[in-house]
Amino acid sequence: MSETGNLVKPKSQNLPRLVVLLHWLLAASVFFLFVSSWWMLSLPLPNAEFTYRELPFQLHKNIGITLFVAVITMAAIRVRSLLREASSHQSWLQRLAVWDHILLYTLLTVCCLSGYMSSSYSGWATKLWWLVDIPLWAAENDDLNILFSEVHLWSCWALLGLLLLHIGAAIYHGVGNDGAIEKMFRLR
Amino acid sequence: MGNESAKTNVSWLAVVIMLFGLLSLASHGTEMLKQAVIGPGSSADLGFAADCRADELEEEQLSLEECQLMVSNVRIILSSSPDWFRPYQLAFSSLGIAATLLSLVTAFSLINRKSPPLRLAIVSITLLLFVDVAGFVAAVNTGPMLRAQYLWPLLLWISVHLCMLVAVIRIEQYDAVDSECRKPETS
Repeated sequence: MSETGNLVKPKSQNLPRLVVLLHWLLAASVFFLFVSSWWMLSLPLPNAEFTYRELPFQLHKNIGITLFVAVITMAAIRVRSLLREASSHQSWLQRLAVWDHILLYTLLTVCCLSGYMSSSYSGWATKLWWLVDIPLWAAENDDLNILFSEVHLWSCWALLGLLLLHIGAAIYHGVGNDGAIEKMFRLR
Repeated sequence: MGNESAKTNVSWLAVVIMLFGLLSLASHGTEMLKQAVIGPGSSADLGFAADCRADELEEEQLSLEECQLMVSNVRIILSSSPDWFRPYQLAFSSLGIAATLLSLVTAFSLINRKSPPLRLAIVSITLLLFVDVAGFVAAVNTGPMLRAQYLWPLLLWISVHLCMLVAVIRIEQYDAVDSECRKPETS
């Protein structure tokens, strides 16, 4: 089956172990952030009595900031090979795969940054993993908070759509047994 | 089963275990968070009224009624949870996370080991199925409002893990027969 000419055949070289581990760490974090955020936004609005949102929001921000560092690290490692693949002559499916990755990194970055900006303008402090106080560098501003919340929301929906495409592609490669899956699981 | 076909099955299986493993991790993680945050004796339980300021409503794009019902939503969870439900959910969510992590390790081992550990896959998926069934039995024994929240997603999870388990058992059977056939005959 993998010999058929029309199928997308990825290059077989292994990815660095750090990239493989970061990929799965990112995947686990993104799924958790989506599922937990749908639930946490149904909690009562916060005030002195209602503190239900405190833990989930702090956790959401902590994971988001950590995710941002992981995305930047991963993008820095992969940027050259992705750009090279994007400019080379390939089938439309291979080009789609490269652009899917580039867009994924871009949207992940936009999601993290817009979430951080929205939080900064909300007036709520962030203590990274309950250890390090992140200084509030902006004064509370409702308009900017709403603006960045909207960017956060829509970039996250776009990310979810792109993730579904990515998962579909993973299943395609898994059934085709063309070596792509081995690349993403190989730790040696 | 040919060697190529066996490799395809294992590669497909690893993707499926990983995909549902990540979703399961998110689901159990959120359940743990839910039980950690919504406890008896908290403000919604003590009868405090919702604080729905106009600026907050605009920021969250909520109606006044929705804002007030958010407190009722917490009250629904608290009043329909029997005393044993919270510790039970915390324990089984932890077990669910542990079982899911084991299944993720299994997915990696399927690709990285020369001989795919299909027995380990059977064990980890059985454990996940056990956690789902235990969660379903617990939800059945709560009130109708919690049953409405929990039963349907748990039924879906049971179906997913059952399909995965049957698939791995079948692949393992093929694998065993295939290995037997490839053994050199002794006279």
